[in-house]
Amino acid sequence: MAADRRPGAREAVFAQLNDAGRAEQVAQRLTDAIILGVLGPGERLPSEPELARRFGVALITVREGLGNLRETGLVETRRGREGGSFVIAVDAPHNALLHTRLRGLTQVELSDIAVYFGVIVEGCATRAARRTSPPDAERLAGWLQKAEFAGAASARSNAGGFFLELAVLTQSARLVREQIRVQAEFGPLLFLGLGDPALRERIAAGFRAVPAALGAGDDVLARRLVGDQVQALSEWLLAAKARVERGGQLDDASVDHI
Amino acid sequence: MTHPLTTSEHGATTEHGASTEHRVTAEQCAAAVSTLFDGIFADLESWRDRVAQAGQPTRPTELDALVETLVIPALTLPQPTLIGAGFIAAPEFVDGHDVHFSWWLGPLESNPLLGITTVPTRLDLSARVYTDYLRDVRELEWYSIPESTHQRHVTGPYVDHLCTCDYIFTVTMPVRVTEQMIGVVGADVAVRRLETALLPLFLAADQPLALVNAVDRVVLSTEPTVQVGQLAPHDGVVVACSGVPFRVLVAPASSSRD
Repeated sequence: MAADRRPGAREAVFAQLNDAGRAEQVAQRLTDAIILGVLGPGERLPSEPELARRFGVALITVREGLGNLRETGLVETRRGREGGSFVIAVDAPHNALLHTRLRGLTQVELSDIAVYFGVIVEGCATRAARRTSPPDAERLAGWLQKAEFAGAASARSNAGGFFLELAVLTQSARLVREQIRVQAEFGPLLFLGLGDPALRERIAAGFRAVPAALGAGDDVLARRLVGDQVQALSEWLLAAKARVERGGQLDDASVDHI
Repeated sequence: MTHPLTTSEHGATTEHGASTEHRVTAEQCAAAVSTLFDGIFADLESWRDRVAQAGQPTRPTELDALVETLVIPALTLPQPTLIGAGFIAAPEFVDGHDVHFSWWLGPLESNPLLGITTVPTRLDLSARVYTDYLRDVRELEWYSIPESTHQRHVTGPYVDHLCTCDYIFTVTMPVRVTEQMIGVVGADVAVRRLETALLPLFLAADQPLALVNAVDRVVLSTEPTVQVGQLAPHDGVVVACSGVPFRVLVAPASSSRD
C-alpha cells in the first residue's frame, strides 16, 4: 500500500477527541489526587474559573465535576470571602474509594498505563544520557540528595519530580509537557506503591544511581535503571489489585498509605 | 525594543552559485547574537534602575505595581522577544516574604500547567508545586550567578517546567543598592523566537555554523547533523559572541554523542 494510503496514520488524524464526559474527567482527576494524597486534607482547590482555565473546560463543567466530589464527600464548598472548595479531612485513608478505584480498572488497563509511562520515561533516560552536561548531572545528583523519600507523600511528590527532571534533561519541551500530562492523569495511581517503605527505599536508590549514568553518557544503564523502577511500581499495583479483588486489603499491612 | 535583523542586505548567490560581495561571516553572526542580547539587557538595565530607585524595604504591593508597569509593555509587543519578565527579590528584601516573585508571563498559546491566555498573567506562586523549587532559589543558576559575580547572566537553553513549559533562556541582572543585592531583574526568551531573528543571517553564511552556549549546547545550527539541544564539542574555528556566553562554531562536525 502506498505510504499516503496507510489507514492507521490517516484515520488517526480524525480519531475521536477525548471529549466525552469532561465533568467526569474533572471529577476523576481531583478524586485521584485526593484519595491518593496529592491534595491534602484542608487544602483549598483553585477557584472555579481558575480550574476551568487550567483544565481547558467550561465553567459549568468544573461546577458539575466539583458537585460529584461533594456528593462523594471529598470536598466541601464554603461561601464568603475566605470561601472556596476545600479537601475534607478524614480520620482514615480513603480505603473504600481506593478499593473502588483499583477494582474499576482492569489488569490490562493498569498494565497498559505502566507500559505507556515506562516507554516515555525510558525514552527520556536514553535521550537525556546523550544530552546531559556534567553540571546538569551534578545538579540532578544534588537535587536527589536533598529529595525526601522517607514518607509516602514526599516519596510520591519527589518521584514525580524526578521523572520531570529527567524529561527536562532531554532538552525537549514536548517530552516535558507530555510528562506533566501523563503524571496528571496517572501519577497518583502509578506512585501508589510508594506507600510501601521497602519499595520506596529501593526506588529512591534506583533514582540516585541515575545521575552518574547520565553524566557518563551511559544510555543503556540510565534506561535500565529508570525502567526497573517503573516495573517495580507496576508490579506493586497489580499485586494490590489482586489482593483487593480477593477481598483483602490494598497492602500487606506494612504500608503506611497516604 | 527592536532587533533589526534582516538578511536582505546580506549576500545572495548568483546564477552561477558564486557568492556576491556581501558574504556573511561567522563574526557577523556572532555580533548579531550580541546585539540581540544587548537589546534585552538594555530593557533589564532600565528596570534594574527603577527597582533600585524604589528603595528598601519595599512593600510587596508597591513593588508589584512598579514591576508590572515596567515589564508589561515588553510582553505585549506584536512579536515579543520576551515571553516572561519581572523581578525576583532577595529572600530578606520584601517584608514578610521568604522569596518574593514579581513575575509576569506573556500570552500563552497553550500550556499544560496554566492553560491558554491572551493577556499577560502574574505568575501565581501560591500553587503548592512551587514551594520545593523556591526554597532553593539562591541555588538556581539564574539567581546564584548574578549574586556571586555581580554580573548579568544568561541561563540556558533549558526546558522551563515551572511555568512556560517551553525551551528558553533566562536572562538576569543583579539589582544592587549600596553594595547589597536586593534581587534580580530578569526575562525569559524562547529559543524559537531567537531562532526566528537569527536564522536568516546564519543561513547566509558560506559555511555551516552552530551557535552554542558555555557548555557547548547547540542553540541554533545550519549543519543538520548538529541539532539544537545536543552537546557539540568542537575543535575547529570558534568565534566568541562578545558580552554573552555564546560562541559560533564554524563548520561543526557531528562528533557529539547525540
